[in-house]
Amino acid sequence: MGKMKNLKIDNLTVKAKDDGKIILKDFNLEIKSGEIHAIMGPNGTGKSTLTKVIMGDTNYEIVKGKTIYDGKNINKMKVSERAQLGIFLGMQMPMAIEGVSNADFLRSSLRAKEKDNFKLLPFVKEVDRYIKKLKMDPDMLNRSVNDGFSGGERKKNEILQMYVLKPDLILLDEIDSGLDVDSLKLVGESVMDYYEDKKPAILLVTHYQRLLDYIKPDYIHIMNEGKIVKSGDGSLASYIEKHGYENE
Amino acid sequence: MNRLIIDDEKVYLEGDKSVSLKEETKFLDVKSLSLKVIKDTDLIIECDCKDAKISITVNVFKDVHLNIFEIKKGGRYKIRYIYYLDNDSKVNYEKINDVHEAVEESIFNLNGERSEVIYNFKTISKSKEKYNFLVYHNASKSVSDIKNNGVNIDEGNLEFNVSSFVPNKIVKCKVNQSSRIINETSNECVIKPNLFIDEEDVIASHSALIGTFSSDEIFYLMSRGIEKKEAKRMLSKGFLLKGITKYKDEFNEIIDSYWG
Repeated sequence: MGKMKNLKIDNLTVKAKDDGKIILKDFNLEIKSGEIHAIMGPNGTGKSTLTKVIMGDTNYEIVKGKTIYDGKNINKMKVSERAQLGIFLGMQMPMAIEGVSNADFLRSSLRAKEKDNFKLLPFVKEVDRYIKKLKMDPDMLNRSVNDGFSGGERKKNEILQMYVLKPDLILLDEIDSGLDVDSLKLVGESVMDYYEDKKPAILLVTHYQRLLDYIKPDYIHIMNEGKIVKSGDGSLASYIEKHGYENE
Repeated sequence: MNRLIIDDEKVYLEGDKSVSLKEETKFLDVKSLSLKVIKDTDLIIECDCKDAKISITVNVFKDVHLNIFEIKKGGRYKIRYIYYLDNDSKVNYEKINDVHEAVEESIFNLNGERSEVIYNFKTISKSKEKYNFLVYHNASKSVSDIKNNGVNIDEGNLEFNVSSFVPNKIVKCKVNQSSRIINETSNECVIKPNLFIDEEDVIASHSALIGTFSSDEIFYLMSRGIEKKEAKRMLSKGFLLKGITKYKDEFNEIIDSYWG
Protein backbone atom coordinates (compact mmCIF):
# COMPACT_ATOMS: atom_id res chain seq x y z
CA MET A 1 0.00 0.00 0.00
CA GLY A 2 1.32 3.44 -0.96
CA LYS A 3 1.45 6.62 1.02
CA MET A 4 -1.90 7.90 2.26
CA LYS A 5 -3.08 10.58 -0.12
CA ASN A 6 -6.46 12.05 0.66
CA LEU A 7 -8.71 14.28 -1.41
CA LYS A 8 -10.73 17.04 0.22
CA ILE A 9 -13.03 19.25 -1.79
CA ASP A 10 -13.95 22.26 0.27
CA ASN A 11 -16.90 24.49 -0.62
CA LEU A 12 -16.09 24.35 -4.32
CA THR A 13 -18.13 26.43 -6.76
CA VAL A 14 -17.38 25.99 -10.45
CA LYS A 15 -18.74 27.51 -13.64
CA ALA A 16 -18.39 26.58 -17.29
CA LYS A 17 -16.18 29.02 -19.17
CA ASP A 18 -18.21 28.95 -22.38
CA ASP A 19 -21.61 29.98 -21.01
CA GLY A 20 -20.85 31.00 -17.42
CA LYS A 21 -23.32 28.46 -16.02
CA ILE A 22 -22.65 27.41 -12.43
CA ILE A 23 -22.24 23.62 -12.38
CA LEU A 24 -20.89 22.83 -8.92
CA LYS A 25 -22.24 24.84 -5.98
CA ASP A 26 -20.54 24.88 -2.57
CA PHE A 27 -19.54 21.28 -3.17
CA ASN A 28 -17.94 19.33 -0.33
CA LEU A 29 -16.46 15.84 -0.33
CA GLU A 30 -13.63 14.04 1.39
CA ILE A 31 -12.14 10.76 0.17
CA LYS A 32 -9.39 8.98 2.06
CA SER A 33 -6.93 6.44 0.67
CA GLY A 34 -8.55 3.02 0.63
CA GLU A 35 -12.09 4.41 0.38
CA ILE A 36 -14.44 3.90 -2.55
CA HIS A 37 -17.06 6.57 -3.14
CA ALA A 38 -19.77 6.40 -5.79
CA ILE A 39 -21.61 9.43 -7.11
CA MET A 40 -25.05 8.91 -8.61
CA GLY A 41 -27.70 11.32 -9.74
CA PRO A 42 -29.89 12.45 -12.62
CA ASN A 43 -28.35 13.59 -15.90
CA GLY A 44 -26.89 17.09 -15.98
CA THR A 45 -26.28 17.47 -12.26
CA GLY A 46 -22.51 17.94 -12.56
CA LYS A 47 -21.19 14.44 -11.88
CA SER A 48 -18.87 14.24 -14.88
CA THR A 49 -17.88 17.88 -14.42
CA LEU A 50 -16.79 17.05 -10.89
CA THR A 51 -14.30 14.45 -12.15
CA LYS A 52 -13.00 16.81 -14.87
CA VAL A 53 -12.58 19.67 -12.38
CA ILE A 54 -10.58 17.45 -10.03
CA MET A 55 -8.41 16.54 -13.05
CA GLY A 56 -8.01 20.25 -13.91
CA ASP A 57 -10.01 20.67 -17.12
CA THR A 58 -9.52 24.29 -18.19
CA ASN A 59 -13.01 24.48 -19.69
CA TYR A 60 -14.19 25.15 -16.14
CA GLU A 61 -13.41 28.07 -13.86
CA ILE A 62 -13.22 27.79 -10.12
CA VAL A 63 -15.28 30.59 -8.59
CA LYS A 64 -14.44 29.73 -5.00
CA GLY A 65 -13.36 26.90 -2.76
CA LYS A 66 -10.41 24.53 -2.61
CA THR A 67 -9.42 21.14 -3.91
CA ILE A 68 -6.88 19.71 -1.50
CA TYR A 69 -4.95 16.61 -2.53
CA ASP A 70 -2.12 15.14 -0.51
CA GLY A 71 -2.17 18.27 1.63
CA LYS A 72 -1.79 20.69 -1.31
CA ASN A 73 -4.35 22.99 -2.90
CA ILE A 74 -4.28 21.82 -6.50
CA ASN A 75 -6.70 24.42 -7.89
CA LYS A 76 -4.00 26.11 -9.94
CA MET A 77 -2.08 23.01 -10.96
CA LYS A 78 -1.88 22.00 -14.59
CA VAL A 79 -3.63 18.80 -15.69
CA SER A 80 -0.30 17.06 -16.27
CA GLU A 81 0.99 18.01 -12.81
CA ARG A 82 -2.12 16.54 -11.21
CA ALA A 83 -1.64 13.32 -13.17
CA GLN A 84 1.99 13.17 -12.10
CA LEU A 85 0.83 13.57 -8.49
CA GLY A 86 -1.10 10.32 -8.92
CA ILE A 87 -4.59 11.41 -10.02
CA PHE A 88 -6.15 9.38 -12.82
CA LEU A 89 -9.37 10.02 -14.72
CA GLY A 90 -10.93 7.09 -16.56
CA MET A 91 -13.17 8.83 -19.04
CA GLN A 92 -16.70 8.15 -20.19
CA MET A 93 -15.75 8.76 -23.84
CA PRO A 94 -11.98 8.38 -24.16
CA MET A 95 -10.62 10.39 -27.09
CA ALA A 96 -9.43 8.73 -30.26
CA ILE A 97 -6.05 10.19 -31.20
CA GLU A 98 -5.14 9.54 -34.78
CA GLY A 99 -1.52 8.77 -35.54
CA VAL A 100 -0.35 8.40 -31.92
CA SER A 101 0.21 4.74 -31.14
CA ASN A 102 -1.00 3.26 -27.89
CA ALA A 103 2.53 2.06 -27.14
CA ASP A 104 3.98 5.57 -27.56
CA PHE A 105 1.17 7.05 -25.52
CA LEU A 106 1.66 4.62 -22.63
CA ARG A 107 5.44 5.03 -22.70
CA SER A 108 5.25 8.83 -22.79
CA SER A 109 2.73 8.84 -19.95
CA LEU A 110 4.81 6.62 -17.70
CA ARG A 111 8.02 8.43 -18.60
CA ALA A 112 6.36 11.75 -17.67
CA LYS A 113 5.51 10.32 -14.27
CA GLU A 114 8.67 8.36 -13.51
CA LYS A 115 11.11 10.69 -15.30
CA ASP A 116 14.69 9.38 -14.88
CA ASN A 117 13.45 6.25 -13.13
CA PHE A 118 11.63 5.06 -16.25
CA LYS A 119 12.97 1.75 -17.56
CA LEU A 120 11.84 0.40 -20.89
CA LEU A 121 12.15 -3.35 -20.38
CA PRO A 122 10.09 -3.60 -17.17
CA PHE A 123 7.53 -1.33 -18.85
CA VAL A 124 7.25 -3.67 -21.85
CA LYS A 125 6.92 -6.74 -19.64
CA GLU A 126 4.33 -5.09 -17.45
CA VAL A 127 2.21 -3.92 -20.38
CA ASP A 128 2.34 -7.40 -21.87
CA ARG A 129 1.10 -8.87 -18.59
CA TYR A 130 -1.76 -6.37 -18.26
CA ILE A 131 -2.85 -6.86 -21.87
CA LYS A 132 -3.26 -10.57 -21.14
CA LYS A 133 -5.07 -9.88 -17.90
CA LEU A 134 -7.52 -7.52 -19.62
CA LYS A 135 -7.95 -9.96 -22.54
CA MET A 136 -6.97 -7.28 -25.05
CA ASP A 137 -5.62 -7.84 -28.54
CA PRO A 138 -1.82 -7.25 -28.36
CA ASP A 139 -2.04 -5.57 -31.77
CA MET A 140 -3.89 -2.64 -30.19
CA LEU A 141 -0.54 -1.40 -28.87
CA ASN A 142 0.49 -0.57 -32.43
CA ARG A 143 -2.82 1.03 -33.31
CA SER A 144 -3.63 4.71 -32.79
CA VAL A 145 -4.99 5.52 -29.36
CA ASN A 146 -8.65 4.44 -29.25
CA ASP A 147 -8.91 4.91 -33.04
CA GLY A 148 -11.44 2.40 -34.35
CA PHE A 149 -11.79 0.85 -30.90
CA SER A 150 -15.19 -0.40 -29.78
CA GLY A 151 -16.72 1.07 -26.62
CA GLY A 152 -15.52 -1.95 -24.64
CA GLU A 153 -11.98 -1.75 -26.03
CA ARG A 154 -11.78 1.93 -25.11
CA LYS A 155 -12.79 1.24 -21.53
CA LYS A 156 -10.32 -1.63 -21.24
CA ASN A 157 -7.67 0.70 -22.62
CA GLU A 158 -8.48 3.16 -19.83
CA ILE A 159 -8.01 0.40 -17.28
CA LEU A 160 -4.73 -0.61 -18.95
CA GLN A 161 -3.50 2.97 -18.54
CA MET A 162 -4.60 2.92 -14.92
CA TYR A 163 -2.60 -0.24 -14.29
CA VAL A 164 0.49 1.18 -15.97
CA LEU A 165 0.37 4.58 -14.23
CA LYS A 166 -0.49 3.19 -10.78
CA PRO A 167 -2.48 6.18 -9.52
CA ASP A 168 -3.37 6.88 -5.89
CA LEU A 169 -6.63 8.66 -6.68
CA ILE A 170 -8.83 7.10 -9.35
CA LEU A 171 -11.76 8.96 -10.88
CA LEU A 172 -13.96 6.74 -13.03
CA ASP A 173 -16.58 8.56 -15.05
CA GLU A 174 -19.25 6.11 -16.18
CA ILE A 175 -16.67 3.46 -16.86
CA ASP A 176 -19.58 1.02 -17.25
CA SER A 177 -21.21 2.76 -20.22
CA GLY A 178 -20.95 0.90 -23.52
CA LEU A 179 -19.86 -2.35 -21.90
CA ASP A 180 -21.49 -5.71 -22.44
CA VAL A 181 -22.03 -8.04 -19.48
CA ASP A 182 -18.70 -9.85 -19.82
CA SER A 183 -16.67 -6.68 -20.34
CA LEU A 184 -18.40 -5.02 -17.39
CA LYS A 185 -17.42 -7.95 -15.19
CA LEU A 186 -13.84 -7.87 -16.45
CA VAL A 187 -13.49 -4.11 -16.00
CA GLY A 188 -15.18 -4.14 -12.60
CA GLU A 189 -13.05 -7.01 -11.33
CA SER A 190 -9.88 -5.45 -12.73
CA VAL A 191 -10.56 -2.22 -10.85
CA MET A 192 -11.14 -4.20 -7.66
CA ASP A 193 -7.94 -6.22 -8.18
CA TYR A 194 -6.03 -2.95 -8.41
CA TYR A 195 -7.88 -1.64 -5.37
CA GLU A 196 -7.02 -4.73 -3.31
CA ASP A 197 -3.36 -4.40 -4.31
CA LYS A 198 -2.78 -0.64 -3.98
CA LYS A 199 -5.66 0.62 -1.83
CA PRO A 200 -6.12 3.86 -3.73
CA ALA A 201 -8.94 6.32 -3.19
CA ILE A 202 -11.65 5.76 -5.81
CA LEU A 203 -14.42 8.09 -6.91
CA LEU A 204 -16.74 6.57 -9.45
CA VAL A 205 -19.62 8.13 -11.29
CA THR A 206 -22.34 5.78 -12.42
CA HIS A 207 -26.01 5.63 -13.26
CA TYR A 208 -26.48 1.98 -12.55
CA GLN A 209 -26.35 -0.50 -9.72
CA ARG A 210 -24.81 -3.12 -12.04
CA LEU A 211 -21.28 -1.65 -11.78
CA LEU A 212 -21.62 -1.73 -8.01
CA ASP A 213 -22.05 -5.51 -8.20
CA TYR A 214 -18.31 -5.59 -8.86
CA ILE A 215 -16.95 -2.40 -7.34
CA LYS A 216 -18.25 -2.18 -3.81
CA PRO A 217 -18.37 1.41 -2.58
CA ASP A 218 -18.04 2.40 1.05
CA TYR A 219 -20.13 5.50 0.43
CA ILE A 220 -22.75 6.49 -2.09
CA HIS A 221 -23.62 10.12 -2.71
CA ILE A 222 -26.61 11.43 -4.63
CA MET A 223 -25.89 14.62 -6.52
CA ASN A 224 -28.43 17.14 -7.66
CA GLU A 225 -28.01 20.67 -9.02
CA GLY A 226 -24.30 20.73 -8.39
CA LYS A 227 -24.13 19.44 -4.84
CA ILE A 228 -24.47 16.29 -2.79
CA VAL A 229 -28.02 16.03 -1.46
CA LYS A 230 -27.80 12.65 0.23
CA SER A 231 -25.09 10.20 1.31
CA GLY A 232 -25.32 6.65 2.52
CA ASP A 233 -23.82 3.21 2.30
CA GLY A 234 -24.15 0.65 -0.52
CA SER A 235 -27.84 0.09 0.19
CA LEU A 236 -28.62 3.58 -1.13
CA ALA A 237 -27.83 2.42 -4.68
CA SER A 238 -30.34 -0.42 -4.41
CA TYR A 239 -32.95 2.01 -3.15
CA ILE A 240 -32.31 4.39 -6.07
CA GLU A 241 -32.41 1.50 -8.55
CA LYS A 242 -35.84 0.58 -7.22
CA HIS A 243 -37.41 3.98 -6.59
CA GLY A 244 -35.49 6.44 -8.78
CA TYR A 245 -34.20 9.88 -7.82
CA GLU A 246 -37.52 11.67 -7.78
CA ASN A 247 -38.68 9.89 -4.63
CA GLU A 248 -35.53 10.92 -2.83
CA MET B 1 14.13 2.63 -58.41
CA ASN B 2 15.10 6.08 -59.68
CA ARG B 3 16.37 9.10 -57.84
CA LEU B 4 16.06 12.67 -59.05
CA ILE B 5 18.30 15.07 -57.15
CA ILE B 6 17.81 18.79 -57.53
CA ASP B 7 20.02 21.38 -55.88
CA ASP B 8 21.27 24.85 -56.76
CA GLU B 9 24.13 23.49 -58.87
CA LYS B 10 22.71 20.53 -60.74
CA VAL B 11 19.88 18.22 -61.65
CA TYR B 12 20.79 14.57 -61.58
CA LEU B 13 18.84 11.41 -62.32
CA GLU B 14 20.14 7.98 -61.39
CA GLY B 15 18.34 4.69 -61.61
CA ASP B 16 17.16 1.80 -63.68
CA LYS B 17 16.31 3.54 -66.98
CA SER B 18 12.57 3.19 -66.46
CA VAL B 19 12.56 6.97 -66.16
CA SER B 20 14.24 9.30 -68.63
CA LEU B 21 15.08 12.94 -68.01
CA LYS B 22 15.37 15.80 -70.42
CA GLU B 23 16.61 19.06 -69.05
CA GLU B 24 15.62 22.12 -71.03
CA THR B 25 17.57 25.32 -71.37
CA LYS B 26 16.99 27.71 -68.54
CA PHE B 27 14.66 30.51 -69.45
CA LEU B 28 14.20 33.37 -67.02
CA ASP B 29 16.08 31.25 -64.45
CA VAL B 30 13.48 28.48 -64.68
CA LYS B 31 14.80 24.93 -64.69
CA SER B 32 12.59 22.95 -66.99
CA LEU B 33 12.63 19.20 -66.51
CA SER B 34 10.76 16.60 -68.50
CA LEU B 35 10.45 13.04 -67.24
CA LYS B 36 9.07 10.04 -69.08
CA VAL B 37 8.11 6.93 -67.14
CA ILE B 38 7.82 3.82 -69.26
CA LYS B 39 7.85 1.01 -66.69
CA ASP B 40 6.57 0.43 -63.15
CA THR B 41 9.00 2.03 -60.74
CA ASP B 42 9.66 4.15 -57.67
CA LEU B 43 10.86 7.68 -58.21
CA ILE B 44 12.53 9.53 -55.37
CA ILE B 45 12.71 13.30 -55.73
CA GLU B 46 15.05 15.14 -53.37
CA CYS B 47 15.22 18.93 -53.57
CA ASP B 48 17.51 21.09 -51.49
CA CYS B 49 17.84 24.56 -52.99
CA LYS B 50 18.31 28.08 -51.68
CA ASP B 51 16.22 29.70 -54.35
CA ALA B 52 14.63 27.65 -57.12
CA LYS B 53 12.26 28.15 -59.99
CA ILE B 54 11.47 24.81 -61.53
CA SER B 55 9.00 23.36 -63.98
CA ILE B 56 8.66 19.57 -63.91
CA THR B 57 6.64 17.63 -66.46
CA VAL B 58 6.03 13.94 -65.88
CA ASN B 59 4.55 11.64 -68.52
CA VAL B 60 3.33 8.34 -67.15
CA PHE B 61 2.81 5.86 -69.96
CA LYS B 62 0.02 3.36 -70.42
CA ASP B 63 -0.31 0.67 -67.71
CA VAL B 64 2.61 2.11 -65.73
CA HIS B 65 2.41 2.30 -61.94
CA LEU B 66 4.63 4.99 -60.47
CA ASN B 67 5.34 5.59 -56.80
CA ILE B 68 6.79 9.04 -56.14
CA PHE B 69 8.45 9.91 -52.84
CA GLU B 70 9.42 13.55 -52.69
CA ILE B 71 11.16 15.48 -49.94
CA LYS B 72 11.93 19.12 -50.29
CA LYS B 73 14.10 21.15 -47.92
CA GLY B 74 15.82 24.49 -47.88
CA GLY B 75 14.86 27.91 -49.14
CA ARG B 76 12.43 29.51 -51.54
CA TYR B 77 10.69 27.48 -54.20
CA LYS B 78 8.47 28.30 -57.13
CA ILE B 79 7.54 25.05 -58.79
CA ARG B 80 5.04 23.91 -61.35
CA TYR B 81 4.42 20.18 -61.70
CA ILE B 82 2.49 18.89 -64.68
CA TYR B 83 1.50 15.23 -64.84
CA TYR B 84 0.06 13.39 -67.81
CA LEU B 85 -1.40 9.98 -67.07
CA ASP B 86 -2.24 7.55 -69.84
CA ASN B 87 -4.71 4.63 -69.78
CA ASP B 88 -4.54 2.46 -66.64
CA SER B 89 -1.54 4.36 -65.28
CA LYS B 90 -1.32 5.01 -61.56
CA VAL B 91 0.62 7.53 -59.54
CA ASN B 92 0.95 7.08 -55.82
CA TYR B 93 2.55 10.19 -54.40
CA GLU B 94 4.03 10.86 -50.96
CA LYS B 95 5.42 14.33 -50.52
CA ILE B 96 7.01 16.22 -47.64
CA ASN B 97 7.95 19.90 -47.62
CA ASP B 98 10.16 21.54 -45.02
CA VAL B 99 11.03 24.74 -46.83
CA HIS B 100 11.33 28.42 -46.06
CA GLU B 101 8.84 29.56 -48.66
CA ALA B 102 6.90 27.87 -51.44
CA VAL B 103 4.54 28.69 -54.24
CA GLU B 104 3.60 25.53 -56.09
CA GLU B 105 1.16 24.52 -58.76
CA SER B 106 0.41 20.87 -59.44
CA ILE B 107 -1.57 20.00 -62.53
CA PHE B 108 -2.79 16.46 -62.97
CA ASN B 109 -4.08 15.54 -66.41
CA LEU B 110 -5.88 12.23 -66.10
CA ASN B 111 -5.98 11.62 -69.82
CA GLY B 112 -6.34 7.86 -69.87
CA GLU B 113 -9.28 5.73 -68.83
CA ARG B 114 -8.84 4.28 -65.35
CA SER B 115 -5.84 6.51 -64.70
CA GLU B 116 -5.42 7.24 -61.02
CA VAL B 117 -3.55 9.65 -58.77
CA ILE B 118 -3.33 9.22 -55.01
CA TYR B 119 -1.58 12.23 -53.51
CA ASN B 120 -0.56 12.58 -49.87
CA PHE B 121 1.18 15.85 -49.01
CA LYS B 122 2.57 17.08 -45.69
CA THR B 123 4.13 20.41 -44.87
CA ILE B 124 5.31 22.42 -41.90
CA SER B 125 4.72 26.03 -42.87
CA LYS B 126 6.91 28.70 -41.29
CA SER B 127 6.32 31.54 -43.76
CA LYS B 128 4.30 32.00 -46.93
CA GLU B 129 3.32 28.71 -48.58
CA LYS B 130 0.73 28.50 -51.29
CA TYR B 131 -0.23 25.30 -53.08
CA ASN B 132 -2.57 25.20 -56.05
CA PHE B 133 -3.88 21.95 -57.46
CA LEU B 134 -5.71 21.50 -60.73
CA VAL B 135 -7.01 17.99 -61.35
CA TYR B 136 -8.46 17.37 -64.79
CA HIS B 137 -10.44 14.18 -65.25
CA ASN B 138 -10.22 13.98 -69.03
CA ALA B 139 -11.13 10.29 -69.28
CA SER B 140 -13.81 8.07 -67.84
CA LYS B 141 -13.25 5.95 -64.73
CA SER B 142 -10.30 8.09 -63.70
CA VAL B 143 -9.62 8.49 -59.97
CA SER B 144 -8.10 11.31 -57.95
CA ASP B 145 -7.57 11.48 -54.21
CA ILE B 146 -5.74 14.63 -53.12
CA LYS B 147 -4.89 14.81 -49.42
CA ASN B 148 -3.07 17.86 -48.04
CA ASN B 149 -2.06 18.21 -44.39
CA GLY B 150 -0.13 21.13 -42.99
CA VAL B 151 0.85 22.54 -39.63
CA ASN B 152 1.24 26.31 -39.65
CA ILE B 153 3.73 27.73 -37.15
CA ASP B 154 5.88 30.85 -36.54
CA GLU B 155 5.23 33.36 -39.34
CA GLY B 156 3.38 30.85 -41.49
CA ASN B 157 0.63 31.63 -43.98
CA LEU B 158 -0.50 28.37 -45.48
CA GLU B 159 -2.91 28.09 -48.36
CA PHE B 160 -4.30 25.06 -50.21
CA ASN B 161 -6.40 25.66 -53.33
CA VAL B 162 -7.69 22.46 -54.85
CA SER B 163 -9.85 22.39 -57.99
CA SER B 164 -11.06 19.19 -59.58
CA PHE B 165 -12.76 19.14 -62.99
CA VAL B 166 -15.02 16.50 -64.53
CA PRO B 167 -16.57 17.49 -67.87
CA ASN B 168 -19.83 16.20 -69.26
CA LYS B 169 -19.75 12.62 -70.63
CA ILE B 170 -16.64 11.69 -68.67
CA VAL B 171 -18.35 9.06 -66.55
CA LYS B 172 -17.73 6.91 -63.48
CA CYS B 173 -14.90 9.02 -62.12
CA LYS B 174 -14.04 9.10 -58.45
CA VAL B 175 -12.94 12.46 -57.12
CA ASN B 176 -11.86 13.20 -53.58
CA GLN B 177 -10.02 16.09 -52.02
CA SER B 178 -9.28 16.42 -48.34
CA SER B 179 -7.29 19.29 -46.82
CA ARG B 180 -6.56 20.04 -43.21
CA ILE B 181 -4.47 22.77 -41.62
CA ILE B 182 -3.54 22.88 -37.95
CA ASN B 183 -2.93 26.57 -37.36
CA GLU B 184 -0.73 27.16 -34.34
CA THR B 185 -0.56 30.91 -35.03
CA SER B 186 -2.99 33.81 -35.31
CA ASN B 187 -2.01 34.23 -38.98
CA GLU B 188 -4.54 33.58 -41.70
CA CYS B 189 -4.65 30.19 -43.39
CA VAL B 190 -6.86 29.37 -46.34
CA ILE B 191 -8.32 26.26 -47.96
CA LYS B 192 -10.35 26.60 -51.15
CA PRO B 193 -11.89 23.27 -52.16
CA ASN B 194 -13.54 23.41 -55.58
CA LEU B 195 -15.36 20.69 -57.46
CA PHE B 196 -16.30 21.64 -61.03
CA ILE B 197 -18.41 18.69 -62.14
CA ASP B 198 -20.62 18.72 -65.23
CA GLU B 199 -21.36 14.99 -65.24
CA GLU B 200 -23.89 13.23 -62.99
CA ASP B 201 -22.33 9.78 -63.04
CA VAL B 202 -19.48 10.67 -60.66
CA ILE B 203 -18.60 9.97 -57.04
CA ALA B 204 -17.16 13.15 -55.56
CA SER B 205 -16.37 14.34 -52.07
CA HIS B 206 -14.32 16.99 -50.35
CA SER B 207 -13.42 18.10 -46.87
CA ALA B 208 -11.58 21.15 -45.60
CA LEU B 209 -10.69 21.90 -42.02
CA ILE B 210 -8.63 24.66 -40.43
CA GLY B 211 -8.22 24.73 -36.66
CA THR B 212 -5.93 24.19 -33.72
CA PHE B 213 -5.30 20.93 -31.97
CA SER B 214 -8.42 19.81 -30.18
CA SER B 215 -8.50 20.91 -26.53
CA ASP B 216 -10.11 17.55 -25.69
CA GLU B 217 -7.18 15.68 -27.23
CA ILE B 218 -4.68 17.81 -25.33
CA PHE B 219 -6.66 17.36 -22.09
CA TYR B 220 -6.69 13.59 -22.60
CA LEU B 221 -2.92 13.41 -23.12
CA MET B 222 -2.22 15.78 -20.22
CA SER B 223 -4.50 13.76 -17.95
CA ARG B 224 -1.94 10.99 -18.28
CA GLY B 225 0.88 13.25 -17.10
CA ILE B 226 2.13 14.39 -20.49
CA GLU B 227 3.14 18.08 -20.59
CA LYS B 228 1.31 20.36 -23.02
CA LYS B 229 4.36 20.88 -25.22
CA GLU B 230 4.94 17.14 -25.46
CA ALA B 231 1.22 16.60 -26.12
CA LYS B 232 1.42 18.98 -29.08
CA ARG B 233 4.54 17.25 -30.35
CA MET B 234 2.77 13.89 -30.22
CA LEU B 235 -0.31 15.26 -31.96
CA SER B 236 1.82 16.95 -34.63
CA LYS B 237 3.65 13.72 -35.27
CA GLY B 238 0.45 11.75 -35.48
CA PHE B 239 -1.05 14.24 -37.89
CA LEU B 240 2.00 14.67 -40.11
CA LEU B 241 3.38 11.14 -40.15
CA LYS B 242 0.06 9.48 -40.98
CA GLY B 243 0.38 7.79 -44.38
CA ILE B 244 4.11 8.52 -44.70
CA THR B 245 6.22 5.43 -45.38
CA LYS B 246 9.41 6.41 -47.19
CA TYR B 247 10.89 9.30 -45.23
CA LYS B 248 9.28 8.50 -41.90
CA ASP B 249 12.47 8.61 -39.79
CA GLU B 250 13.81 11.73 -41.48
CA PHE B 251 10.46 13.50 -41.15
CA ASN B 252 10.27 12.39 -37.54
CA GLU B 253 13.56 14.20 -36.91
CA ILE B 254 12.33 17.28 -38.76
CA ILE B 255 9.19 17.37 -36.60
CA ASP B 256 11.31 16.97 -33.46
CA SER B 257 13.40 19.95 -34.54
CA TYR B 258 10.29 22.15 -34.31
CA TRP B 259 8.49 20.57 -31.36
CA GLY B 260 11.32 18.79 -29.58
